[in-house]
Amino acid sequence: MVDQVHKEFRKRDLLYSGALWLLSLILPDPQLHYRREYQFRKRDLIYFLTIIALPMIWSDPHFHHIMVLSGIHAILALGLTLFLGYAGQISLGQAAFFGIGSYTTAILTTRYGFPSLLAFLASGLAASFFAYLIGRPILKLKGYFLALATLGFGEIFLVMVRESRGLTGGVIGIFDIPFFSLAGFIFDTYLKQYYLIWGVLMGLVLFSKNLIRSKMGRAFLAVAASEDGASAVGIDVSRIKLSVFVIGATFAGLAGSLFASVMSTANPETFSLNLSVLIVMMVILGGMGNLYGPIAGAIFLTYLIDGLSRYQEYSLPIYGVILILLLVFFPDGIGTRLRVRLIYLISYWGRKRRREKVDL
Amino acid sequence: MFLSVEEIVKHYDGVMALNRISLQVRKGTVKGLMGPNGAGKTTLFHLISGMEKPDSGSICFKEREITGLQTHEISRLGVGRTFQTLQVWGNMTVVENVLTGMHTRIRGGLLYSSLYLPWIRKDEEAAMKEAKEILERLGLFGRWKWFASQLSYGEQKRLEIARALAAKPDLLLLDEPAAGLTYPEAKQLALTLSRLKEAGLTLFLIEHHMGMVMEIADEVAVLNNGELLAEGPPDVVKKDLGVIEAYMSRK
Repeated sequence: MVDQVHKEFRKRDLLYSGALWLLSLILPDPQLHYRREYQFRKRDLIYFLTIIALPMIWSDPHFHHIMVLSGIHAILALGLTLFLGYAGQISLGQAAFFGIGSYTTAILTTRYGFPSLLAFLASGLAASFFAYLIGRPILKLKGYFLALATLGFGEIFLVMVRESRGLTGGVIGIFDIPFFSLAGFIFDTYLKQYYLIWGVLMGLVLFSKNLIRSKMGRAFLAVAASEDGASAVGIDVSRIKLSVFVIGATFAGLAGSLFASVMSTANPETFSLNLSVLIVMMVILGGMGNLYGPIAGAIFLTYLIDGLSRYQEYSLPIYGVILILLLVFFPDGIGTRLRVRLIYLISYWGRKRRREKVDL
Repeated sequence: MFLSVEEIVKHYDGVMALNRISLQVRKGTVKGLMGPNGAGKTTLFHLISGMEKPDSGSICFKEREITGLQTHEISRLGVGRTFQTLQVWGNMTVVENVLTGMHTRIRGGLLYSSLYLPWIRKDEEAAMKEAKEILERLGLFGRWKWFASQLSYGEQKRLEIARALAAKPDLLLLDEPAAGLTYPEAKQLALTLSRLKEAGLTLFLIEHHMGMVMEIADEVAVLNNGELLAEGPPDVVKKDLGVIEAYMSRK
């Protein structure tokens, strides 16, 4: 009787296994992600092609605009996921580095007439320089203390920006930042900006992917799991932490620069504590220890905030409730849990039909 | 002298953990360190590997003062160690744990790694092959794809030794390698350790398991309450009255 069940094969089973295969391509097994990211796989190609093709299929300018914002958030989240998801340290000060990048670009382009590309690179450098200065003393701390210290840095930065009116324009900020331009080509529409930002993001994804599949990525994971163990095999723990912190800050600085040249303004409202918390939420909801999860989290949350903005004064409470529900039902990231649910569902359908026919 | 500890003193808030301990380990030998719980054995290992700093005294390794150095610097000089409480990286696969053990031997820093140049790929492949050989030697090859957190306790202990060996140390500090192992596992471990000894590695191990220490150690030191009770060949130490008393009074 039982043997019959296994021998029997119907065309419908192809559908189920095909669906499972497709699922494994789009949402890989999170338990395997460290191993899977050793190579450039089909999955990466699918993601990249989707990003390139998406605005051509969906030509709504509002969609392009939201995707531009999501892309900027995704760069921030990608930087933080190296720090939080791989090296296991927490930072609530990413918004400050975002602000440093923004203001560097704003000041260099409006006051000194720097070309955009140069300002963009300078923003990354400025953010990494500050991260190095801050990181050296701060990274001796662990867990909650590190979170509080980075939070404090973010607040100090905000106050400094508001008060130094001569340099940053105070609470009003800096206006009329020129659009990003490269060799005479100006990125002035949402579509062009979409390709600019997601192009930068793809480059940064490749950079991170190479890092985490080499000995550096293993050192990050080792530091996250056991610092004693890591130092016992000759890994300089404080240096690894500092370098991941600097990399994350550089990503944030680059995102800030892009934000300034896309939005044409830089003002302190955009990088308060809210942004830092939002980035952490993106990483947690997207799934930690995975490069694409935080990007998906960034797109999801940016859309959520945009969609809720039509409810005006109710938007924040609704947003809060949704976040709480998501954290309760998807504690290890939306993608991770969704995948497990879908696999159960598909295989359940497959088994259900069989059971009916065999009539056990 | 290969490793020499001179007059080392360590206090913890009024508790004397180690009181003017001096001992030596000769190259190519196996030294056992015994003593009841709280005798200061693990503290001594922490001091040698640089995880804690001594109050006074000095530690020399290969004619070099290593007292003030940090753990990773000491590790790079050739001191490998395992831990009493397991410190394997459960968020990585078994083979990745061993590859991370080779961290200092694989070339490339942040910049080259992020570009993933062809020579990095070649190095990674060579390292992978070597890591699998090390796992083969320790009988973990069948588990190389598993996550380290999925291994049993005994396997995790062996993985820790594999990881320490991957760094190619000259001196290996083993903190209670047989604690919590089943009898056949302990037998297997003793065999592995004696093979390492034949290969010319210097071992310094903490062990409660009398039989195992007597079997593989060339020399034994016994600590009690931060004092060095006895030191010498295993048969001599076994008959030492002070040692018997220290162990008996505890039981």
